[in-house]
Amino acid sequence: MAVPSALPAPLRARGNAMTADLLRILGLWRGRRGWLVAGLAVTIVSALLGAALLALAGQAVADVLGGAAVAGAVAFLLLRPLIALRPAARWGERMMTHAATFRALADTRVWFFRRLADRLPSGIGLRRSGDLLGRLVSDVEALDGLYLKVMVPVAAALALVLVVVALLAGHPLLAAAVALPLALALALPLLLAPGAARAAAEAAEAQGRLRATAVDPLIGIEDTLAANAERQAGAALAAEAVQLGRAQRRLAGRAALAGAGGTLLGQAALLAALAWGLSGGGAGVTVLALFLVLATAETIGVLPRAGTALAAAGAGARRLFEAADAPAPLTEPAVPAGLPGGHAIRIEGLRFAWTPDRPLVFDGLDLDLPEGTRLAILGPSGIGKSSLAALLLKLAAPQAGRITLGGVDLASLAAEDVRRRIACLTQDARLFDDSIAANLRIAAPLAPEAALWRALDRAGIGALVRALPEGLETRCGEGGARFSGGQARRLALARVLLSAAPVLILDEPTAGLDAETERAFLETLEEVTAGRTVILIAHRLTGVERPSRIIRLAGGRALPAAG
Amino acid sequence: MASPSAGQQEAARLLLRRESRALRGRVLLPVLLGVAATACALGTTWLVARLLATLLGASGAGWPELAAAAALALLGAALGLAQERAQLAAGETARTRLRDMTFARLLAAGPAAPRGVGEAASLVVDRVEALDGYFGRWLPTAMLALLAPLMVIAAATYADPRSGLLLAIAGLLYPVAMAATGIGAAQASRRQFEALERLSGRFLDRMRGLPTLVLFNRQEAEAEALGEAANELRRRTMSVLRVAFLSGTALELLSALALACIAWRHGALEGGDPAAGLFCLLLVPAFFAPLRAFAAAYHERLAAAGAAAALAPLLLAEEDAGLALEEMPPRVVVTFTDVRLTYDPARPPALDGLSFRVNAGETLVLAGASGAGKSSVLRLLMGFNRPEAGRIAINGQDALALKPAELRRLSSYVGQKPHLFRASIRDNIRFARPDASAGQVEAAARAAQVLDFAEGLPQGLDTLVGEGGWGLSGGQAQRVALARAFLRDTPLVLLDEPTAHLDPGTEAEVLESLQRLCMGRTAIIASHSAAARASLGRVLEISHGRALGTARAAQGQG
Repeated sequence: MAVPSALPAPLRARGNAMTADLLRILGLWRGRRGWLVAGLAVTIVSALLGAALLALAGQAVADVLGGAAVAGAVAFLLLRPLIALRPAARWGERMMTHAATFRALADTRVWFFRRLADRLPSGIGLRRSGDLLGRLVSDVEALDGLYLKVMVPVAAALALVLVVVALLAGHPLLAAAVALPLALALALPLLLAPGAARAAAEAAEAQGRLRATAVDPLIGIEDTLAANAERQAGAALAAEAVQLGRAQRRLAGRAALAGAGGTLLGQAALLAALAWGLSGGGAGVTVLALFLVLATAETIGVLPRAGTALAAAGAGARRLFEAADAPAPLTEPAVPAGLPGGHAIRIEGLRFAWTPDRPLVFDGLDLDLPEGTRLAILGPSGIGKSSLAALLLKLAAPQAGRITLGGVDLASLAAEDVRRRIACLTQDARLFDDSIAANLRIAAPLAPEAALWRALDRAGIGALVRALPEGLETRCGEGGARFSGGQARRLALARVLLSAAPVLILDEPTAGLDAETERAFLETLEEVTAGRTVILIAHRLTGVERPSRIIRLAGGRALPAAG
Repeated sequence: MASPSAGQQEAARLLLRRESRALRGRVLLPVLLGVAATACALGTTWLVARLLATLLGASGAGWPELAAAAALALLGAALGLAQERAQLAAGETARTRLRDMTFARLLAAGPAAPRGVGEAASLVVDRVEALDGYFGRWLPTAMLALLAPLMVIAAATYADPRSGLLLAIAGLLYPVAMAATGIGAAQASRRQFEALERLSGRFLDRMRGLPTLVLFNRQEAEAEALGEAANELRRRTMSVLRVAFLSGTALELLSALALACIAWRHGALEGGDPAAGLFCLLLVPAFFAPLRAFAAAYHERLAAAGAAAALAPLLLAEEDAGLALEEMPPRVVVTFTDVRLTYDPARPPALDGLSFRVNAGETLVLAGASGAGKSSVLRLLMGFNRPEAGRIAINGQDALALKPAELRRLSSYVGQKPHLFRASIRDNIRFARPDASAGQVEAAARAAQVLDFAEGLPQGLDTLVGEGGWGLSGGQAQRVALARAFLRDTPLVLLDEPTAHLDPGTEAEVLESLQRLCMGRTAIIASHSAAARASLGRVLEISHGRALGTARAAQGQG
């Protein structure tokens, strides 16, 4: 897609950016090339059949009215199969192009999720989940215009213009009079798209904000209701809806204008042919030209609208890439080192801050954890206990110093390999809206049912799950909403215990549990984690944990402590 | 998902009818403009036919007619533009009202509603958008699809009665073809939306737990599962479109047949009026254009019917009746009498005849194993759930007679997993009381020990926090949520595990400020913490949804 050089510079810049984004989208669709090309081929065939149908009908009438009855009869004979063929081709075209598009869109959605998982491993940070959802749903959907509303009609129109020119080649003036408006209609989308780009971007942004504004208070529904903030939330949604409505109206207004332009161009071609006839051109060929124009009217009429569709697709693509191109927190080593043999952990001179403007969390931290160590890390909230877990799991990288696993620097290991060795129960470990079994098997996809029960028993929740009528198939609800806080925490704990990783990090494993359950779990901790390295993060010890080492974090360093 | 009952479909129809009636005036304008545009098209076609006949030597038209045709074409295009713009405005009012109402109802349904957030958002955004197609495009298009072909038939009949008859027959056959291809289409459309909701729900749920997936190396498996959901959406969408395309194809076939019949009739006709013949022939596209628009808008109607079926249960339900709070009582006595609550009939009840009383100004600590029913007590007092049996009284008056939103005005509540929004710490606190002054917000932040850590953050209280508290430790997020309770200043305080995630030092400080918060107010606090039990007040032990008895805590500090 070349951006017309006739456009003013800012529009041209916008057009170039859009072109780059859309080309990248086409690159993402490479895997569906067969479908997409086949759809275009069927489209062209169908367009040509449509032209043939009307041209033959016109020819027949002209012949008969002009006295050439035999030629007319022949044209009628040829017409008959086309009557059935054209609708069939049209049906095939629509099915084919839509099937191709939706396959490509499904691929795009999966690609988007993969990218987010790659780029945002420690969570969505300062993004809004509702906004990301909007990108997955609405912005991907807008991409359908790139193929269905731009590439497909342009292919059909190009074929038709070529046919018109070929058939009327004997009469250059007529051919020019008819083909010029049609060619202009072909160029319109490219001329209109950059101008519509701003309206399209505003509409896409507004759509994203609308969804996020709906999602936010629903995610925090308890807090929204507790603050009696329903009306406030409703007003915020309504305000976003007004903005969206305004942007959509502007975009649709442009589309309507383009549509009217398309209609006029078709009429201009028609009247130009008539004018050519009136000024002495041949009657027969004028009739032919006229019917050809009629045949192209439908295709040409919608073409200028492709400009706004292109702009909308461009806006969708921009938003998609903007989220997907978030910088990865860590660069994976180009050639990851092989899995180390052991899993002893050694931390040397670690310096770390989450962002340059935040205070240092660690400043010269040293720690040595031979295999099988049972370490308890204590310290007040916000001192860096969870940050240490993040560093060990390669969710963040230290600014200085290094961490080794089995003697190999974490920086040279693939994140996936590290996480295969180190499993973690994070503070915000989440249960998904799926069955208990599916939630547990996140840690070990192939675990047999007996293993699931064993893990549940160890986490002290086996009896409760056994009493549920649906047992392991009971659904957990979003974030484990169908269980009490303590029950959900124990399910998450069971999931970590199920993992085969030789190193376990348990970040406040008993938060939200009653004292008795907490004690019961911590007493069995030694037994259930036998042979593994365990890093227990806690605010305090209850006295039954029997750790082999206790440290307290303070001032960015580890101090030996005694419970 | 079970196929919807006849009642639900009836409700959907009712909803659409009610909304269309309100819109009748706005739909009329685009229809009138469309009729005028059709009239222009008829005029242009007539002139073009005469000009063509002239070329074939059978009529005497010339340049004036060509100029008139051009003028009419311009007018027609302008009318078409005006029509489309009028259509844009038609749907907006309905959409705004329906969206506001849907969202309000979703919020009112509260945390107990089984619907996931992604699905709920899809109702507010995508489904309401689908209704827009119904009002903005389908209604005017359907009316025009009736009026415009009738105008064309009349014009054709005037020129040549038999051609008019042919077009009329084609017009009558069209609904038959539509009915034959459209059976079951509404259901297909409903399934398409359900697939979209499932995809939305799954994605949002997984996005919110992305670190959990990543830490177990399960992102690839989840991408595949998401791909399956996306593919299901594709299949469902295609089965809706298949129907829409079939009816479009039926239309194409009819159009081609009509064209051929008319061409054949006039071709075979020696000596008829060529201008009339050409006019009828050229009318065929004009005849089918509104029908084509109709076929294109048909799947919007289907989508709208599906959307209405999903929205109707929410929108047509009676609004919760209930009393408003006449005045804010300065002091509150809470009484539970034999209260029963069951979340899931297959599981034991959460509360099984619970009775207790909290006096004005008293603090009650609910203790008991996890799942014993502590949080349920707080949820009932917040109106998130309603008990099946028993009585909950506030100052002797039935609390359940109040509207849930009114009941909540009495309380400051911090749940077990308080949610922080993506906003500054300051705005997250102010959320509890938007009209609070800057000083009040800071006082609340100080009381909840938020300032202790906020001072070390780059922008202090104005530091941005991510959704769900990203950027803060668990204990810090907990304190921001507690600051909300300090700010809200209500006679009743309801806290669920206020000191979970806090280290002993911070816990002691927070407990001290909680004592200040509870001073002069009635408070119910669910807590496992021994320190909380020891310092806050009377302890009520709950087991399996029943009260085991109360014990006055050792009055160490309070």
